[in-house]
Order: sequence, then C-alpha cells, then structure tokens
Amino acid sequence: MEEYVLICEGSTEGILTGVYEAYLLKKRMGIESHNCIHLAIKEPEMQRLFTHYESIQTDAKKAEKVSNTIERQLGKETWYRISMAMVSCYEDRADAVYHTIVLGLQLRDNKITDRLQEDCVQRTFQCARASDNELCHLKQFLRFLELQNGMLYAKINAKHHVLPYLMPHFADRLPADNFVIYDENTQIFGLHASYQKWYLMQGVDLDEERLVYSELENEYQDLFRRFCESVAIEARVNPALQRSMLPMRFRPNMTEFQ
Amino acid sequence: MNDKIQLHPTLKPTVAEGEQNTESEQILTNIGLHTTRTQSIMEKLAILSDAAKYDVACTSSGIDRKGNGRDMGNCVAAGICHSFSADGRCISLLKILMSNECVYDCKYCINRKSNDVPRATFTPDEICELTINFYKRNYIEGLFLSSGVIHNPSYTMELLYQTLYKLRNEYHFHGYVHVKGIPGTDPMLIQQIGYLTDRMSVNLELPTAEGLEKLAPNKHRKAILTPMRQIQNGIAQGKQELALYRNAPSFVPAGQSTQIIIGATPESDYQIMSVAEGLYDKFGLKRVFYSAYVGINEDQALPSIHTASPLLREHRLYQADWLLRFYQFRIEELLNERHQNFNVLLDPKCDWALQHLDQFPVEINRADYKTLLRVPGIGVKSAQRICKARKSGALNFDNLKKIGVVLKRALYFITCNGKMMYKTKLEEDYITRNLLAEREKLPFDKDGMTYKQLSLFDDTHENAEQYSNLY
Repeated sequence: MEEYVLICEGSTEGILTGVYEAYLLKKRMGIESHNCIHLAIKEPEMQRLFTHYESIQTDAKKAEKVSNTIERQLGKETWYRISMAMVSCYEDRADAVYHTIVLGLQLRDNKITDRLQEDCVQRTFQCARASDNELCHLKQFLRFLELQNGMLYAKINAKHHVLPYLMPHFADRLPADNFVIYDENTQIFGLHASYQKWYLMQGVDLDEERLVYSELENEYQDLFRRFCESVAIEARVNPALQRSMLPMRFRPNMTEFQ
Repeated sequence: MNDKIQLHPTLKPTVAEGEQNTESEQILTNIGLHTTRTQSIMEKLAILSDAAKYDVACTSSGIDRKGNGRDMGNCVAAGICHSFSADGRCISLLKILMSNECVYDCKYCINRKSNDVPRATFTPDEICELTINFYKRNYIEGLFLSSGVIHNPSYTMELLYQTLYKLRNEYHFHGYVHVKGIPGTDPMLIQQIGYLTDRMSVNLELPTAEGLEKLAPNKHRKAILTPMRQIQNGIAQGKQELALYRNAPSFVPAGQSTQIIIGATPESDYQIMSVAEGLYDKFGLKRVFYSAYVGINEDQALPSIHTASPLLREHRLYQADWLLRFYQFRIEELLNERHQNFNVLLDPKCDWALQHLDQFPVEINRADYKTLLRVPGIGVKSAQRICKARKSGALNFDNLKKIGVVLKRALYFITCNGKMMYKTKLEEDYITRNLLAEREKLPFDKDGMTYKQLSLFDDTHENAEQYSNLY
C-alpha cells in the first residue's frame, strides 16, 4: 500500500493548511483511507520506500476554512484542545491533530477529545496537556519588571508557543498598563498598550542591556525577595518539594531567584 | 540582605498627599504601643510577613471574576500560586499582618503579649502600595490581611476595614483579597468588610472548646462561631440578592475558611475530622486547613519545643479532608469510636478499601462515578476521564494506564471487561503487603513512616487546587 506524507510548517496555520491539503489529496488520488496519509512538520532524515513526500505551502485562507469547519462542527471546546495541541513543541503533533480531526468529523462527535482510547486522540491530549501546563506555569511564574517610562517588561523562555494564550490573561488583568512579554525562544513579542487590543510582533531585535528600569524597581524586587525569605517556615524546609512545584527551568527569569 | 533601604518619596502615599500623610501618622500615633515610626517598609515587611507565616491558608481560589476592563486585577477560580517558598508552600497572596501588636496572650502564638519580639504596624497606604506594586509585577494574586489585636477586636477590624476600603476604592484594586475575622468584632464591621473582601476566615484555632480554654484564654468557642455563622448567613443572603438584582454587591463571594492547629492538644483524628465535617455541613465552609503545630514558645501547657511537628499526621488529615470534599466519603466510614486515628502506613482511601474488600473488584466499564472514586489509584480526574471515554467504547488496561490511572495500586480492585489485570488474590494481607512494597509517594521523602524524623512538609492540596478545576 502506498503512503503519502505531507510536510507542512509547524505553525498553527501550517498544520491546518496541511489538513486541508490532505483532504484534497485523498479526493484527488482516490485514496481509500486517511490512514495512508500523514502530516509531518520536518523533512524525514531517511525517506521510506513506497512513500510519496510533498511539501505544503502555508495558506492562511485554507487554514481558516479548516478552523471554521472544526469550530462549527466540533464546537469551541474541541477547537481549544486542538489548538493547544498545535502550539506544543512535539514533532508528531501535526499527524495526531490531523487524525483526530478526521475521526471527529467522521463520527460527528463534538466530544472527540474524550475518546482517549484512540491513539491519535490520546497523543493530541498529551500535546495539549503539555502546552496547557506550561501556560499555567507561565501565568504563575512570569515576572514583570517596570521600565523607566512605566511600561512593564517580562521575558519568558517557553517550550511551547503559548504566548498567544498568555496575552489575553494579562490583558484582562492589567488593562490600564502598557506591557511587553518577550519569548526569547521564538523571538516573538506580545504587546499591549493601555486600554487597547494586544498583538504579536516578530522580527525586531531587543537589546536587554539597553533597558532602563524605573527608580523603584530595585526596591520592590528586594522587598519581594525579603518577603519570600521570611514566609518560609524553617522547621519545614523542603527543597525537593519546592523543586517539584517550581521547576528549575523557570527560575532564571524569576525575581526571587535572581 | 540590606535591611535599611531608604524609603523613596513616592513609596509614601500618593493619593491626596498632605491629608493622607497626616491621617496615616495619626493612626500610628493612636496605636503607638511599641511600634516606632522610623521603621522602613523593608523592616516592617520582614517582621509582619514573618509573623503571619504560621497561618496556613494562602489560596486564591473560589471565585472567577473577569477584569472590568478599567481597573487592575481579576480572579481565577482555581487560584494561582505565584511562587513556592523554601518549605515548598505556595506563595499566592501577600500574606501579612497589619500589626503584630497584640493584647491577647494565646500560649501557642509567636505574637502573644508576653513574648519579647520586634513589633511593627503598617499604615493602610503602605499596605495598598505594596499590594498594587507586587500585583502588577505578577508576584502575587492579591492580599491576605490579618492582624494582632490592637486595643480590642473592633478597633483592629476597623483598621483592616479602612485599609481594604482604600485598596478597593482609592487604589481601584480588583484582585483577590482574603481577610481574617477577629472573634468578638462588632457584627456591623464584619458585614461591611464582607462587601470588600473575597474570602473571610475566622480561625477555630483548636479542635475542642477545652483545648481553646487551656491555650487561648482570651478566646472563646462561642465568640468564634458567632461571626462564622454571621458570614454564612451573609453569603446565603448575598446570593439571593444577587439572583434578584444583578448589581447587588457580593458578600464574601469566595466563601469562608478556617484553620485548626494539630498536635498542640491531645485530640484524636476522629475528633478533629468530626469537627471539620460539622463545619462543612453546618457552616458551609469552603475549606478547613490543618496546621501541624510548630513549637515556638516554651510553656507548661504546650508540647516541648523540641517535639517534631506532626507532618505525616497533618498529611493524613488533608487526605481525609479531600475524601470528604471530593470523593463523597463520610467521616464515619473512615474512623469511629474504636478506630480513632488514621493508619500511618497507608493513605485513608487505601485503608478504607482494604477494610471493605467485599465491595471489590469493580468493573471499570460499568461502575458508576461514585464507585470509581473509591478505587485506590483512581483520582477525580481519571474517574471523570473514564466516564467520558467509556461512552464511546469499552476500555482495557492499556487505555486506563494512558488515562492516568495508577495501575500499580488499582489493579487489585478493578476488572476490565470482566478480567483482572493479573491473577491476584483478593485478600487483605496479601494486598497490604504489595501496596506497602509500592512505597507511597509522600511529599516528604526518605523515611516518611516515622514522623518524628520528619522535618519536611507538603502542600499538595494547594496544587491539586491549582491544577484541577474542582471548584
């Protein structure tokens, strides 16, 4: 049996375009089952026999068609789970999401993400859980610094591309403030201006050395460090527990560990 | 750490400056017990956060409130922990006392009148500035405000009221606020504060009235229960008003909690848990917190200062508390007159299952939610996932593992499609031996079994709260 692998971009739009093209391919070639088609986000190191490889050009319109279909047919909740899976960092996410969507549309099941006994759904669930967990962690552990002009600045190093989900949380919380969240891994900025909509920005260089902090910034940092120190009860000190709650990888960006 | 950081002028009140300053100073002069006005914010914060640390409740859960698009702050029902201190406990709120001056002399308390400790008092503006600036840097989720008793309960609560009023109306803070209710306060004040705060808690302190009389001579059981009842009624009434009028002010919307000190007095687990169950049933409390007694003061009436605090016992109580609130257990099922304390070797749910082997094994594909919850190794989340997943086809052991069921523990108690995972005996001794071999994961490592050696603590409840939307 011949197999087809479509290679798409790793972004949400890229994966959704891949899904669109996969449906098209199935129809065009008269392929019997979606099981013969796979999505990948990277050229394989070694190509397999009897497999066709094809690269997909990301197309915003096609992606939108797919996302509209998912939201309409499978509901908002499912769309959220699937989009969380798509922003995770795992290489097999595109294939898992693709087959979950296929299954959901075939069965017309808007609770498709509950069918954990299916392998593709299981994998989608794991991807979504990983990025969801990181989103939670960043809501907890992100730290803003106040710049001279009153703007707040935070740097994160996210494994999964959760910045678009992080922005609404802080925009709701700090509507009056100008703030910037910078994801060093993807070099994408999330920007929010006072009482305005937030947006993402790419392709700008940032020189952290040149940031000037407000006069009070250091004092508040010291106050918080002192607070963290004095609320710990000596008789219960437990670094292992602290580590499991607050993984080491977040600490370089956190005030109280600097 | 530099203690003597000079206060920057803008750290002082910014709102209506001249007038505010004199008012704040006026308050301090009025109080003027031992507090000196020359203390820096840093010194005060060090003293007053240190003094508040023995209060265990630091959750920011129980209410979902979107930002209003104008002011700073929102609330998330599951709560958010912003950091974890060296003891592994969550830092969610700016947990401070307004003042550690106190006219009471409770034996177990570090701030009791007869102790010679450094004293300090915040002004309302200092508290507001700290809260706002910590909050906007995402250090905290809100404010936890308690206080020692200055002059008398009503006087103290009025100071707390002034602070909260400022925070909400002058600083326009829309985030989470948890305030302590001091027994014996004028009911009018409790009522007024209730409209400004999200959660209010009155500490029960000790499980029984006798214990309270012995260790906290200035506090009385009745005086503690009165405000609790008032808050409970206020919440019920508030909900009714909210149903009628959309814009009615909400009264203590995140509910009330309390805390009990464990191990300072000789009550059994059964007595403690019965009290907790009573509080949940009769006072509609959201949470009861258990605090393993930490010896600070030398006193005839207290355990020796060198007694290790009973952390494993506290852990078992929290586990049992979880069973009451989320697993639909009643305390009589777990403990009784003859069987007064929890098994130190097994968690309460395993222990219960082993005593009730006649009810096992249960069939995963057919058992109802309540029954699934009672299987060791199946938690709330996995039980929910099982119920959802099995709607679209039978589950096998492999599926269960992926769903998150701890099969090592569950396998003795379940069947999938009529089959057990391995051939096992359904026999108490045999299962106990096997379960014990699979050492329980305690939040304190090494030899968690002899709790005298423990020096470590857990706060798994905080995190369960954080990660599962159980509210």
